[in-house]
Amino acid sequence: MNNLYITNATDPAGRQVDCRMGRSTGDVTFAPAGSISAPAGARIIDGTGKLLLPAFFDLHAHIEQPGRSKRESVTRAGQAALNGGVWGMLVMPSPGFMFDNYATLDSFRDAVSQRALAEMYAAGCISVGMNGEQQAPYNTMAARGVSVLTDAGAMPSSTLMLYRAMKYVAELGLTLAVRGDVPELTRNTCMHPGTTSYMLGLHGTPPCAEEIGIETVLRLARDAGAKVHIQTVSTAESVRIIRRAKAAGQAVTAEVALHHLLYTHECLGDYDTNFKTLPPLREEQDCAALIEGIKDGTIDCIVSDHTPCTPFSKKQDFISAPAGMVALDTFLPAIYTYLVKPGKLTWPEVVRACSENPCRIADPREPEYDAPMQAPLMLFDPRETYTVSEEHLSCGTLNTPLLGTELCGRVTLPLQ
Amino acid sequence: MNPRKDLLTISSLSDEDIHTILDSASAMKDIFTKSVKKVPALKGKSVLTLFYEPSTRTRSSFEVAAHRLSADVTTFTVSTSSVVKGESVHDTIDTLMSMKMDYIIVRHKNSGIPAVIARHCKAAVINAGDGAHAHPSQAFLDAFTIREKYGTVAGKRVVIIGDILHSRVARSTSVILQRLGAKVAYMGPGPLVPPEKHTGIPRFTNWESVFEWKPDVIYLLRVQNERIDTPFFPAQDYHQAFGVTGERLRRIDDLDLAIMHPGPVNRGVELCDDALEYRNSLICNQVENGIAARMSILYHLTPQTPVHE
Repeated sequence: MNNLYITNATDPAGRQVDCRMGRSTGDVTFAPAGSISAPAGARIIDGTGKLLLPAFFDLHAHIEQPGRSKRESVTRAGQAALNGGVWGMLVMPSPGFMFDNYATLDSFRDAVSQRALAEMYAAGCISVGMNGEQQAPYNTMAARGVSVLTDAGAMPSSTLMLYRAMKYVAELGLTLAVRGDVPELTRNTCMHPGTTSYMLGLHGTPPCAEEIGIETVLRLARDAGAKVHIQTVSTAESVRIIRRAKAAGQAVTAEVALHHLLYTHECLGDYDTNFKTLPPLREEQDCAALIEGIKDGTIDCIVSDHTPCTPFSKKQDFISAPAGMVALDTFLPAIYTYLVKPGKLTWPEVVRACSENPCRIADPREPEYDAPMQAPLMLFDPRETYTVSEEHLSCGTLNTPLLGTELCGRVTLPLQ
Repeated sequence: MNPRKDLLTISSLSDEDIHTILDSASAMKDIFTKSVKKVPALKGKSVLTLFYEPSTRTRSSFEVAAHRLSADVTTFTVSTSSVVKGESVHDTIDTLMSMKMDYIIVRHKNSGIPAVIARHCKAAVINAGDGAHAHPSQAFLDAFTIREKYGTVAGKRVVIIGDILHSRVARSTSVILQRLGAKVAYMGPGPLVPPEKHTGIPRFTNWESVFEWKPDVIYLLRVQNERIDTPFFPAQDYHQAFGVTGERLRRIDDLDLAIMHPGPVNRGVELCDDALEYRNSLICNQVENGIAARMSILYHLTPQTPVHE
């Protein structure tokens, strides 16, 4: 394999750079454009007009596709990730990937090493079978590289179980990832309460359920001395709660799903099931507060919350249809088109939220004897536009509201 | 009226559509006084009633309406069908479409199901009530009843009382009355009345403010215990706080207000016994007008099922 030499690309800070990448050594050298020369035999890529960015790490992806084999799901999700500028991801446990025992973790690792084009790490279950009652074998999982534990975005039903899990994992250095919720308050609800839910006759998910859930998790974690990561924050008040906890010095990180930055509950229109998400899409002011949270560092990461759903399941009525949308294939182009291009986020903010912070949170290695997780580089050409169609969605399902819309930007990943 | 396949909500109708259906309902009602209460408008057409929720009134009202238009009516009984074996709505509809139905009248506990069915099949789909979303035929019969009583709906003031949160009747009837120029207000227990900023409809919390608002019609909703899995309000309080008690009935009588209710009535909850005998109760008119309104709805829809002459 040849060394790579990228000329005249733009880095996240807007500087023109040349970049030399040693294939065998893994060394990467940046220099102002034109100041260094290409080594002999290197493959030269003209980066003019393109951005040279660290590839993204997605801290929240569901990859299991109902009716498909694990291997197939792994292959498709990997290709989808590369299309969207994502080189690695944290895979949520699911019925087919129940990461609560060493055998499933091992078979997943095998499938990934044989089939996946992108890096995939398993997030271990907090409770056995994600039943919310009995703690999973954390030591066994940690020994297999698990660094984040989650019941796939659910709040464990037993507060006592969660509290004890926190006390246990605090000593193992693992992170507990939880979505704020009070299940009793959100049962039988499927969207944000407001004019749209009233008109559609759907029961509203009160924002306070998420906020009370986050307060509970933070309070428990403070007492237990555990590191927690708050998943898919969706309300303005949740951002304020996390901001206060961080200011008080608590070890907490937080993520927001990309769709919570792009859409509001009004998008549901006439029961469009592609907009059914968990937690539900909120209001304009929540989107603005979440973006503000990314800018000031309260929200550490933007995640895809990629969730493949079969076409039939999404053709059902809104109440019966499953929640979630696929987002990996379109991840970076959507971030660019809807957030960077209109000036809502800058490239350095995006790189921090989509690459640096998630790599740090998910890093399965012990820093004492291994180098921290390092994202590879990718090129992004913001001038290219395309209309999202079936052929652009390698993930294999079509449950995204972006189908048929025009996005800007094309990703080159991996660089070779 | 432009050809229209389905009736799913009131909001999807133009003003012209609403007036056309109401005007024809009057003509349909004239048929009831004839010795032969039947016209051949839908002769040879097949109508299916597909009720996933128990219903006696709405279902028989639609069936009588279809019979009076000379249609053939089939009743799909959910409790004895494969639906209880877990068949999806889509698969049920595929089966029914193979039977070449022209009209499907559907009721379901989930909001939005009739729209799914309408997209999926060529038959004209009539929403006979979906979750807390819409009940357009009820809205037509309510508007028709008020128009019959007062000569017009415009300018009338109607207060809808009870469980607004779970009520498709409130959602559809308030829309049609507002479209026809009436003023609508809501009153009920706090947890069961969505805030005004969501509904755009003034919200009262007690009878005193209702009377001050000077309504013409008191529209009581049924307390739907079957929709409520966990208690929303103290049940023992309901009649005293929100029902028409004997004392309130006297006041209603003095002010000459009309009383409406979509039925079936919970006696002693929404209404005291005497209120059912009240001279200005329009509850029985609503039932009779329901048939006329549903005949008119069936008459004005155009299925896209293939026709070979």
